[in-house]
Amino acid sequence: MALISLEQVSVAYDNRFILEDFNLQIEKGKLLSLLGPSGCGKTTTLRLIAGFLNAEQGKFMFGGKDYTNVPVNKRNFGFVFQSYALFPHMSVYDNVAFGLRLRKMKEAEVKQRVTRMLEIVSLGGFEKRLPKALSGGQRQRVAIARALVIEPDLLLFDEPLSNLDANLRVNMRVEIRRIQQELGITTVYVSHDQEECFSISDQVAVMNSGKIEQLAHPTTIFKYPASEYVARFIGFGNFIAFESRSDAGEDIELSRGALKFLAAKRPNGAGNLGMLGAIRPDDLQLWPSTQEAPLSGNTLSGRVQVSTYLGRSYQYEVETELGVFTVNQEMDVPFAQGEQVTIYFPKDKLVLVQ
Amino acid sequence: MNKRYLYLLLLPGFLFLAAFMLIPIILTIVSTFMPDGSLTLEGYMTFFRDGYFNKILLTTLRVSVVTTLVCVVLGYPAAYYISRAGIRKKSILLALSIFPLLTSPVVRSFSWMIILGKKGLLNTFLMNIGLIQKPLEILYTPVAMMVGLVHLFLPLIIITLLGVMENLDYELVRAARSLGASSFTAFRKIIFPLTVPGLIIGSILVFVGSLTAYTTPALLGGKERVVATFLYQNAMTLNDWQAASVIAVIMIVITFVVVGLMNAWANRLNPKG
Ligand SMILES: Nc1ncnc2c1ncn2[C@@H]1O[C@H](COP(=O)(O)OP(=O)(O)O)[C@@H](O)[C@H]1O
Ligand SMILES: [Mg+2]
Repeated sequence: MALISLEQVSVAYDNRFILEDFNLQIEKGKLLSLLGPSGCGKTTTLRLIAGFLNAEQGKFMFGGKDYTNVPVNKRNFGFVFQSYALFPHMSVYDNVAFGLRLRKMKEAEVKQRVTRMLEIVSLGGFEKRLPKALSGGQRQRVAIARALVIEPDLLLFDEPLSNLDANLRVNMRVEIRRIQQELGITTVYVSHDQEECFSISDQVAVMNSGKIEQLAHPTTIFKYPASEYVARFIGFGNFIAFESRSDAGEDIELSRGALKFLAAKRPNGAGNLGMLGAIRPDDLQLWPSTQEAPLSGNTLSGRVQVSTYLGRSYQYEVETELGVFTVNQEMDVPFAQGEQVTIYFPKDKLVLVQ
Repeated sequence: MNKRYLYLLLLPGFLFLAAFMLIPIILTIVSTFMPDGSLTLEGYMTFFRDGYFNKILLTTLRVSVVTTLVCVVLGYPAAYYISRAGIRKKSILLALSIFPLLTSPVVRSFSWMIILGKKGLLNTFLMNIGLIQKPLEILYTPVAMMVGLVHLFLPLIIITLLGVMENLDYELVRAARSLGASSFTAFRKIIFPLTVPGLIIGSILVFVGSLTAYTTPALLGGKERVVATFLYQNAMTLNDWQAASVIAVIMIVITFVVVGLMNAWANRLNPKG
């Protein structure tokens, strides 16, 4: 049974509904992330779970109990804020001890737990510092320690890494995942960064204006987006609207006018609904049209419009009879602008979405 | 514009203040120590030996302290409420609380006379409902001064506190709540400590304002004197400019000491340093 369950929840600000009939289940011990662009309702969902917001309708069940009307301070959920929200007038020690002292714990035990937690987040020796005397990464770790030390039943992260620089972000997300798995603590993690979500999650829910478009394991979402929206969001930059499809053969046969394409069927026959073909710029391949393509079928001829050097690869905008395609390709000698090329669509990379 | 000449912008204001404030104050201070060429503390000794002056000084301090406390007690919750209100409500409440500042102290004091007088609205009302038998003596007492001064300075402390409270990151309260704090605990442990520096600054403004206020105590105090009205009396009625100067210096010193102490306290409490 799911530990957390949002059932038919609706949330509104000033009579404008942000979430409507929203449903979400999370298993105990798992890390689920909410991924979506800014403004899609991720923070709202998280605040609802935390109890900072009240739902207009619906239920929030936690561990089989109705938590809908349980006040924030009785929920025992840890929240890590985007802005960290460290208490500026308290030392690192007092920040972390705050929740324990509210639980009327003996000062000796508070000390023991705070010290251990600060060690877990590698901040031993920083007890006396005020938050203003810490770097961004250190503040972040204090915020995490403060939320974890109360041994919360659920941990909530709202874009906790968005204020850190790139290197630190990677280190911190590894840390967060390590701590989460070590303590086996159920976690909801909000981010608009797909790499971040994919790298730390057991499950990713891609959100679009208050709705979950797809909820699945990161690799499933990465390979098999369910909808055009998800595909676009995770970097499928090229689309072909097919006119017919046939699933009779070994592969799915697709056509658009006189053009025929093949797309591989998915394992377990899952998904691959719809008639819109989607493929990433990295998965398309280009040949000079003077050279014969090593494979027949699934090709389209075109002309290089724009060529951009990206460092590791070149990015081309290729004009074809089906519109412009974006292709990323590593090569030593790039195609020239205006050069005639053949685009190859590997059938196992061509995904069909709704 | 060349940065080197940027200080020129400061010059007119500085010259004005120097010519009409700094120099006169220095001259006043100097004159109290050497009334006739030689250095003496006699001017001050006379005052501090004088029971009447000591009584006035005490009344002034008492009125100022009580006014400040009442302003804090009334202003703090009001400012907190306004800071948490929605945009529309906030602008209406803010306008209402600033409104007293827009009326002249003379007009305001006259209206308090009508309310607090022997046959004023308050006494008439209380006698009509039978709560008191003979009218209360409020007008022309220190209490009337305090009422007038609270009315005068409440907007000031509300505005000062509002500035601090609006800058308060409400996420901190949510953080405290998620860690198990009730609303009241979150207020006590987070909001209050973080707004104390603003409270001290506001109190300084009210205290210094009350200490030096003239119109309100003059109109509502009747024969009761405060330092400022006593100073006026010495200078204008008795034409004793020497005494007036000494009183002025005493006021300046009290002001500086209070401001200095409270500022140091506020700075020590300010987490942002
Ligand atoms: N306090 C608020 N009052 C009114 N509208 C809000 C408030 N907070 C968020 N919204 C609106 O709700 C929508 C979802 O916001 P949010 O959940 O913060 O999105 P996300 O975290 O995905 O960026 C946005 O359109 C935002 O403008
Ligand atoms: Mg957000």
